[in-house]
Amino acid sequence: MKSLYLLGTAPGCGKTALAVGLAQKLRDEGFTVGYFKPVGSVPTGYRRVDEDAALMDALLNMGMPPEKLTLVSAGPYYLTRYEEPGTLLEEIRETYRQASEGRDVMLIEGPGRPHLMLTLGLDAISLARHLEAQTILVSRVENDFSVDRALLFAQYLAARGVPLVGVLFNNVPRPLLDKTRGVYAPLIEREGIRVLGTLPCRPEIAAPTVQEFADVLAGEILVGEEHLDNLVEEIMIGAMTLESALGYLRRAPRKALITGGDRTDMCMAALETDTAVLILTGGLFPNVNVLARAAERGVPVMLVHYDTYTTVQKLQEVARKIKPGDAEALALCRQLVDEGVAWEAILAALRS
Amino acid sequence: MRGPMISLERLFRPRSVAVVGASKTPGKIGHAVLVNLVASGFRGAIYPINPKEEEIEGLKAYPRVTDVPGPVDVAVICVPAPAVNAVAEECGRAGVGYLVVITAGFKETGREGAEREKALAAICRQYGMRMVGPNCLGIMDTSTPMNATFSANFPFQGRIAFISQSGALCAAILDWSLKRGIGFSKFISVGNKADLTEADFIEDAAADPQSKVICLYLESVEEGARFVEACRRASRTTPILVIKSGTSQAGAQAASSHTGALAGSDLAYETAFRQAGVLRVHTMEELFDLAQAFVRQPAPPGNRVAIVTNSGGPGVLAADAIENSPLTMARFEKETIDRLRKSLPAAANVFNPVDVIGDAHWDRYDAALGAVLDDPGVDGVLVVLTPTATIEPDVVAEKIVEHHRRHPEKPVLAAFLGGASVEEATRYLLGNGIPCYPFPEPAVSALAGLLRYRELSTAPAAVEEWTFPDVDRAAVEEVFSYVRRDKRVVLLGSEAFRVAESYGIPCAPSYLATTPDAARRLAEHMGFPVVLKVASPQILHKTDVGGVKVGLATPEEVKRGFVDIMESVHQHLPDSVVYGVEVQKMMPPGRELIVGVTRDVQFGPLIMFGLGGVYVNLLKDVAFRLAHGLTREEAHAMIRQTRAYTLLRGFRGERPADIEALVDTIGRVAQLVRDFPEITEMDINPVFAYEKGLAALDVKITIR
Repeated sequence: MKSLYLLGTAPGCGKTALAVGLAQKLRDEGFTVGYFKPVGSVPTGYRRVDEDAALMDALLNMGMPPEKLTLVSAGPYYLTRYEEPGTLLEEIRETYRQASEGRDVMLIEGPGRPHLMLTLGLDAISLARHLEAQTILVSRVENDFSVDRALLFAQYLAARGVPLVGVLFNNVPRPLLDKTRGVYAPLIEREGIRVLGTLPCRPEIAAPTVQEFADVLAGEILVGEEHLDNLVEEIMIGAMTLESALGYLRRAPRKALITGGDRTDMCMAALETDTAVLILTGGLFPNVNVLARAAERGVPVMLVHYDTYTTVQKLQEVARKIKPGDAEALALCRQLVDEGVAWEAILAALRS
Repeated sequence: MRGPMISLERLFRPRSVAVVGASKTPGKIGHAVLVNLVASGFRGAIYPINPKEEEIEGLKAYPRVTDVPGPVDVAVICVPAPAVNAVAEECGRAGVGYLVVITAGFKETGREGAEREKALAAICRQYGMRMVGPNCLGIMDTSTPMNATFSANFPFQGRIAFISQSGALCAAILDWSLKRGIGFSKFISVGNKADLTEADFIEDAAADPQSKVICLYLESVEEGARFVEACRRASRTTPILVIKSGTSQAGAQAASSHTGALAGSDLAYETAFRQAGVLRVHTMEELFDLAQAFVRQPAPPGNRVAIVTNSGGPGVLAADAIENSPLTMARFEKETIDRLRKSLPAAANVFNPVDVIGDAHWDRYDAALGAVLDDPGVDGVLVVLTPTATIEPDVVAEKIVEHHRRHPEKPVLAAFLGGASVEEATRYLLGNGIPCYPFPEPAVSALAGLLRYRELSTAPAAVEEWTFPDVDRAAVEEVFSYVRRDKRVVLLGSEAFRVAESYGIPCAPSYLATTPDAARRLAEHMGFPVVLKVASPQILHKTDVGGVKVGLATPEEVKRGFVDIMESVHQHLPDSVVYGVEVQKMMPPGRELIVGVTRDVQFGPLIMFGLGGVYVNLLKDVAFRLAHGLTREEAHAMIRQTRAYTLLRGFRGERPADIEALVDTIGRVAQLVRDFPEITEMDINPVFAYEKGLAALDVKITIR
């Protein structure tokens, strides 16, 4: 049995989508694939289990409840919860042993950052050593510092003696694709580290859907229930005058517009432009004409009871989660891996 | 798309009308409509439709429209909303020509209503019926005569066609018109405009010999382009007055709540009205003051007005109002002055305004009016009268009417100040074709309106839209498809320049560099000095984030400039995505102008021209035109309309700028946004105008 530990250098680098793609690809190559996520995210108000684990459980028929696939929750105050870590590491090892039974390859997903829970020796890098996994550094790309970060982790892995298959630039914004391939990747390879690919950001799997907004905001959908899978790529607050609004609204495609229910003019203007969802704050029920027009344009209207400021604060929790039944998203993950990953390097690592 | 000109003859002069939902119960709309129709003296057949009644108001009732023995030209529908579509279907099968759907409960009530309305419109299309409404008061025609509304008031016969988007306002105006003695030819409440819109009624009224002026109350326009086209044609023969509500922020919000339409910007309406030859007024009072003048008086041949008054104060007020309008005070010929001297006392003023002074009897008005109306330098007369102890307002009124008959080509308007003592005279004047107002100002603004209509209707008819054959559509399409592939809506500067150049708009050479070295090479190729600008669709105000460097004269400066820009931008906006830096040839200073486009939801693209530079938002020296139908002459006119024009002609010894090149660019921008409806916003700011030619220094384009 071989295992690949996906280490994300920072949150939002698309580890789960990558895991979904790799798992499918490996399965098609004839491997029996398993999944494990020793350290997961903290359950919040509406998320009771780690959804990534649930997704992979469904995809790979792990036959293990998601709360077992992620034993530990890495919240910002984890020290309080795990005052006495005691046998945590042992439990992780034992669960991993069970999960990997009968599997040729295990995909292990790390938490948002590799160093989380280092104090308890449960950071991803230590765990990779304990579980004797090879690692793939998954790096998102924001700017030049992203390369530094990837190199730092690569050097640290080497120092700790953890085998690294290579660096994978994932979820790369389109404008930075050329620079990543032409400038960043050569810089990494110059250090003798393999770059396994540069995968572009695809809003179809990266952008949250209206449903995810509704979950976080506990919003009431007034119309457009059938369009909750609309993708949201921008968020805009409609507090300006109408004359200036149209210009801003036009520059923001596939947006969520947050405004008061009493701003009929703003809602109508937004409905003339590319809008994914209207989020009406303050619990103000909109004019019926807004609902009629929104229904006509296929734009969901969501009523929330928070004020605009609170709504915006809450939106920071919104993230895209691929759902087990989302065949299109699953296929796209697979396609990205097919098109962009240096597959022979991964196969070589698994056969070594 | 419906054809243009349709005849609504059978709608307003039907041979028969069915009232579906006619009722015996007073207080019900179905009862009111039937009673009104009978009371208006309608001479055609009237068929009450009600399955539960044998007869209503002495007329035989039928269970269904399909049971009516003869043909039905118009069916007025006042059954409850859920039943309307089934009734419409029956009307279609019965071969009804027109529906007037009074019933409310459609688009204005929300989603379900909107769907019902859509289905209703589809039924009309299927059977080739045309429809007024739904959710309207109904229609009236005073010459037919026919009152197919639920408003008990039926107006006097007159020459004003009134088209209103507000049914309630219709009812109020009707009531008021009876008191003021104002007559109407037609009264139309358009309701939700699911089929027939204001454009149809404007075309119809323009062709109607009974209607001399069209008055519109609008909250929104249904199809901007058709509205403009209909008004353009109609206004050449029939004046169109419009009052458009929802001009304020609060008003626009209320209007969009009311009508369910996004109000187009007031600016777009203003521009559309101007280009369509529509006279806009701002109060209901003004609307009818002007309408009365149009019904009764010709447009003046020129702008020179004579005032005849019996009191100094009101005369001066009138003179002020004239000077503050496009009108001017006439200067009399010597002959006129001599005549006035001879017939008026020494204390009288024989110059304009002619003051026959306070002790005047009717004969001084008679003499003065005769003299000024005969003066060829007078294009129109305003008679001001205050009720003094000596004056006989009734006789003066008669004399005014007589004098006007001698000079029917010159408009004569009256302002009779006072109350009870001028009431009889005012009524006489109104009854005999002389508009009479209680104060001088409304009389002057009516006269100014007449003049403005003269200018509009005698302006050369719009010639062909101005087009350019030498444009490269394919190049623009290529840029747009690249931008779409990149999932963007805002073009990078270099892309926007490619688009502008493809349409023959002269641009300062500009290219995108992604590395300092590439920037240096580009600069060396185009020649120093150059300007560097950050390339990022998210950054609107590049200067504010240190994203612009000008006057870079050496390769080293360019390379350093590139790095400085990247660092500064990242410091200000760490999350922004930067594509690189644009290298642009530094142009010599010219006169700074702006050419812009914004797309209005109702009227399509609006072209803006004005003075550019940093003070553009302060000075607001800009002119607008609709891009659709823009002619070469209009492009010229919009430049002349601005103060920038003075600057371009050569201010204080400067040499004139290349105005023709500017006109050409405006025309090309108009064609670009007509050809590519996906362009929602475009800004060329600044454009530098030179003695010969011009150059666009910055181009911004947003697509959808």
